[in-house]
This record gives sequence, structure tokens and C-alpha cells, in this order.
Amino acid sequence: MGLDVVSRTPADVSQDGAVALEARADHAPARARGGAWEGASAEKHFLRYGMMPHMLCPGCGHGIVLDSMLRALARSYETLDDVAFVAGIGCSSRVVGYVDACTLHTTHGRPLTFATGLKLARPDLEVVVVTGDGDGLSIGGNHLIHAARRNIDLTCVLFNNEIYGMTGGQLAPTTIPGAYTSTSPMGNHERPFDAARLVEAAGGTFVARAQSFRTRDFEEIFLRALDHKGFSFVEVMTDCTEYFGRTNRLGNGADLLFSQARADVAIEADLAGRPTLQEVPARPVRPVMEMGVLHESRRQTLEEAMGLVEDGS
Amino acid sequence: MSRVNGSNGKVPARTPPARLEAGNLVVVGVGGQGVILASNLVSQVLLDAGYDVKKSEVHGMSQRGGTVVSHVRFGPEVHSVMVEPGSADWIVAFEWEEGLRSLSYLKPNGVALVSTERRIPPAAMLDHRDQSLKYPALGEVPFGVLALDTFAVAGDAAAAVPAVAQTVLLGALSVLLPFPVEAWQASINAWVPRKALTGNLRAFERGRALAPEVRAAEVAARTAARTVESGPEVVPSASASPVAHNGAKRSRDGVAEHLLPVVRIERSWCKGCDICVAMCPEKCLVLDELDVAVFARPERCTGCQLCALLCPDLAMDVLWVPAGDLTGWLFANEEDRVRAAADPR
Ligand SMILES: Cc1ncc(C[n+]2csc(CCOP(=O)(O)OP(=O)(O)O)c2C)c(N)n1
Ligand code: SF4
Ligand code: SF4
Ligand code: SF4
Ligand SMILES: [Mg+2]
Repeated sequence: MGLDVVSRTPADVSQDGAVALEARADHAPARARGGAWEGASAEKHFLRYGMMPHMLCPGCGHGIVLDSMLRALARSYETLDDVAFVAGIGCSSRVVGYVDACTLHTTHGRPLTFATGLKLARPDLEVVVVTGDGDGLSIGGNHLIHAARRNIDLTCVLFNNEIYGMTGGQLAPTTIPGAYTSTSPMGNHERPFDAARLVEAAGGTFVARAQSFRTRDFEEIFLRALDHKGFSFVEVMTDCTEYFGRTNRLGNGADLLFSQARADVAIEADLAGRPTLQEVPARPVRPVMEMGVLHESRRQTLEEAMGLVEDGS
Repeated sequence: MSRVNGSNGKVPARTPPARLEAGNLVVVGVGGQGVILASNLVSQVLLDAGYDVKKSEVHGMSQRGGTVVSHVRFGPEVHSVMVEPGSADWIVAFEWEEGLRSLSYLKPNGVALVSTERRIPPAAMLDHRDQSLKYPALGEVPFGVLALDTFAVAGDAAAAVPAVAQTVLLGALSVLLPFPVEAWQASINAWVPRKALTGNLRAFERGRALAPEVRAAEVAARTAARTVESGPEVVPSASASPVAHNGAKRSRDGVAEHLLPVVRIERSWCKGCDICVAMCPEKCLVLDELDVAVFARPERCTGCQLCALLCPDLAMDVLWVPAGDLTGWLFANEEDRVRAAADPR
């Protein structure tokens, strides 16, 4: 023993991650397919080339998350023929249109219901649901908690940009206190949802939170969510540059990424006395949030209970 | 850093205490954690005690949450500013991984005070060729390493300003250095802005109260069952990185080949969001007059991939090409590149 830890051992996510990654390095690399340019990285082969460039605004964090998801998939899948992406409505939900897998672009708030039907009909498919904070937590909030309660074997990625991007920047159930949106011109007075903890409480068996900025962490978490048997939920904090960023005068895409590392900005401001974003009057401050895998457990899934797949619980 | 940097070459006014002739300290962390401030603070204590002090720091990527390293050397007269690997008496690490990575600087009987705070940079290069980071498991960490959960130790002292928690490490360091607590307090007073002052003083006190644990780590380091000659357990240091000099070796049919990083930009996908330009640690990228990113300074690129990882439009790829083929890979439109490099926006 060469180590004394005073008070608490460090978070072991990185060490687990490194181990998981080494194991995965043995997987066959993604097969290069037509479409991408010479030398393009593996994840580009999972894009629908005809659809690019995508419709997201300059600097929109959803694009970074899309790239990270594809990069993660390219590490474990040769093709996406047995992967289905199901999305609702919103800028976030729109990203599935660029993934060269089986994709369903469904109605607002209902991707989980479509995905539930799909998964029960085809339990062999890996089903990924992409939703937004508006899509998944307001209009689709009920579907979210019931999917978690049923513990159906889906992976749900919720892009949380703290606003309704697609429809012009309205208040979302995730908007942080004080933030300006087109429907909170005096600043938000409502308490936001903690989406991850909500899903955990509702019965989700894999619950994690990540940031678009920490792309490599998101990759690890997403792969673990895919591997998990049962309802996996990954909330990923991303940035709406066009509405959230502009309305709150938070700067451009790069500034918003920096503000995800919020604590750093606060430190700079406090200790160095340098002008930073922090000094913009009445700027809403992003709360410190727990990141990483927040909950993981094993419980009989809906498919197992229905006898559609062998019960391994 | 005019207040602490440099030496006038004169013999110091006050003779340093005999117990401590000279010493080497390495302070590491990531951008924004206050590494530089902390090393200034220590240097001030040393200067006030009459030592000649030299301090040197690397903080190139600090804004992006990258590594910040500060070397502090002191003695009756100091010439070189750099601490050699294997010669640091103390390491103070504000971040867990950075601390482990810096252990190669530690003397066999040195003490490392390492915060368990974990801040992985956005692109921690997990699969970056053969540069993949490897850290010792907890059980393999050498003797003399004291892991501190600075947030738990600081408690409410860091409630208002989380960064203050790291001052616990300075409190712990103060146990190992023969200066009165007043000297440290004076330095904190001189360097820390008003609003963070009380928190810092309290966090310092709490770190200093860890004297028993710190002393135990010191004793463990001295009596550890490892020979002085074998040095501390070696963990890959930043300087061991195979791309430190902008290139990587690849072997094709057993023949080593020199590869260089090239960023390929799909111009028709780029929306000119400026993220890659702002994030590139080497400032290789600029926006041209059409607001499209251009790989303007290929010679500086380290292939770190930060640009490609964070491009929201999936418009970038970092390719490694044989040095001989480089010009072919650089842009079809060489004119664009030259013009943009000459007139960056
Ligand atoms: C039934 C229905 N109600 C309202 C809308 C309008 N609508 C489209 S997207 C959206 C909000 C999307 O917000 P979010 O899921 O957070 O996605 P973002 O654009 O922020 O990524 C709304 C209210 C709709 N399309 N259908
Ligand atoms: S409106 Fe916001 S969320 Fe939608 S694409 Fe633009 S930046 Fe992204
Ligand atoms: S890969 Fe090169 S161009 Fe891209 S961020 Fe790194 S140094 Fe800059
Ligand atoms: S990050 Fe991508 S979209 Fe943005 S300026 Fe750079 S290349 Fe263009
Ligand atoms: Mg949204």
C-alpha cells in the first residue's frame, strides 16, 4: 500500500473508462464505407452524406454530441444496420436524420412510445432514443417516467440545452433560474428539473449526465449506456448558441463551451480579477451539476418480463 | 510576475534557516484552478525568508482546462529555473491525473500532495495513437503520495468559491516547510483578492491541521522499501509523448515512417462558428473572409484533435500523413491558405 487517501477516494470514472477503452480497442474497427472523403475518421462513415451539412445553427452543441455519438458507435459497431434511432421533434431530435442507421422521426414528445413499440416488436434491435429537454421533459415527460418505470431496454439520450431551440427560444422545464428566454423576459423564476434524478426516481436502471464539451467522457458514458440491460438514460448538457446563448449574452459557441466548465470561469473571475463572462450583469450562473454515471442497477426488463427475451436478471 | 520572478544575483540579505538549504517544488493542475497564484504565494514566502527564488511556468493550454505546471526553485543562489525529473522535494497537485502524471519529477524521498479533484480536459486523448494515457492504480502509487480530498477538507471554507478548496494543499505543504504560519498568512494576504481572502485563510488552516497525515507521508517516503537509486515509480510524463515534436512514428513493413498531423476541413460544411479557432491550443486555425475555417499554420499543429472533437459541423478530420506527402495533403486551394494566414481575422 503506497497511498493514504484523506477523506475520500477520487472518482474512479477515468480509471474504469481507461479499462473499458482498452478492452474495446480489440474490437474490429469500423469498416470504411463509401461517401466519406479519403482519410475521414471512422464515425464519418455513419453519416448520411446527402443530408450534410446539417441544419443546426453555427456553434450549436447538438452537432458536437452527434459527432461524439457517432464516434462512440464507430468504436463498437461495423455497421448500424441493427441500430435504430428514434427521435421526437426539436433541433436535438433532428440530428437522427443525419445518422445512417434505421431512423424514425416521430411526433413531439413521443419518441419513447414509438421506440417502446419498436423494441417489443424487434427486441433484437439496439434502440436509441434522441430527445430534447422540451421534447422529453415537457410534452413527453410522462412517457419518460413510464419508460423508466417499465425498465424497457432502450438507451435514451436527452440533449439538454435548457431551452426550446427549434421554436424560438421559449422557457423549458430545464431553464436555469434567472435565465432570459423569449417567454421569460424578466428572467426565469421557476425551478428546473433535475432530469437525471427524475429518471432514477422513476425506475431507470442506468442514469448518467455528461457535457458536450467533455466529448470523450460522453463517448464512454454512451457506450456504457448502450451495453446496459434496461432503461438507460443519458442527459447531455449542450448549448443553444442562437437562443440561449444570445438572449443571455453568453457569447459564441466557444464561450458557451467554456462556460460549461463553469467553475473555471468563476475561479478566474474571483482570483485573477480579470474581466470574464461572470461580470456581465445579471448573467445567470450555470449551477454545478454532478457529472458521470449517477446510478446503475440491474432489474428485470420489460422484454424479459414479457418473455420476449431470455430472462437474465 | 515581476514580484517574484528572477534573481538579481546578489547574496540574499537574510541567511536562510540552516535546516533547509535549498529546495525544488513543482505545482501542477489545470487551467483556472489557481496553480500560478499558488506558486506565486509560495514564492513570496520563500522570498520573504531571504531565499533566492526562481519560478517558471507552462500554461499554454490553460484556458482550455489544459495542464498548468509551475516550477519553483530556491536556495542561496539559483541559476536554472527548471526542476529536473526526479529532483522535486515536493509536488503540489491540484488535480488527480495531473498529479500522477507529474510524479516522475519527485525525488525518491519526496512528498506529493495530490488533490483528488478530477478535471479531465475535453479531449483527454484516450485513443490518441500510442499516446494513450496510463495511470497507476491506487495501490501502485508510490510512497510519499498523499491524496487529499480538498473539498471535503476545506468544507464550508470553499462554499462560496470552490477554487478555494485547493488552498488546503498549501496548508499541508506549509507543514513540510520551516516557516511560521504568519509568513504564509502574510503572503495569502498580499496575493489573494479581498473577496476570496477569508475562505483562503480558513482553507489554509484546515490543510495545516492535517499535519499528522502529512508527516506520516513524509516518513513513509523516507523509509519506503525502495532504493534511492531506482528512483520513483515512473509514470509516463508529458515529455515522453511520442508527438511532442509534432510527429509520430509509424512502422510500415518494418520501416519507420515520419507522420505529420494535417487538419482536413470540409469547407462546404463549415459554418464559421469560430469554435475550432478559439479552441486550438496552437492557434493553427483562422477564419477566412468567407467565415470558413482554414488550417493556416500546419507547422504548429500537434494533432491533438481538439478542433475536430469540438467542431459542431463534423467538418474536420485530423489525418496523419507521411512527411513526404504533406504538400499533396495540404489544401487544394493553397492560395486561400496563404492569404488567410497573412490576414487572420
Ligand atoms: C404537438 C406539438 N406541440 C408543439 C410543437 C412545437 N415544437 C416543436 S419543437 C418544440 C420544442 C423542442 O424543444 P427541445 O426538445 O428542447 O429541442 P431543442 O430544439 O431545444 O433541441 C416545440 C414546442 C410541435 N411540433 N408539436
Ligand atoms: S436554435 Fe439553438 S438548439 Fe436549435 S440549432 Fe440553433 S443553436 Fe441549436
Ligand atoms: S489538431 Fe492541430 S489544428 Fe486541431 S486543435 Fe490540435 S493543434 Fe490545433
Ligand atoms: S468548428 Fe467547425 S464549423 Fe466551426 S469554424 Fe471550425 S470548422 Fe467551421
Ligand atoms: Mg432544448
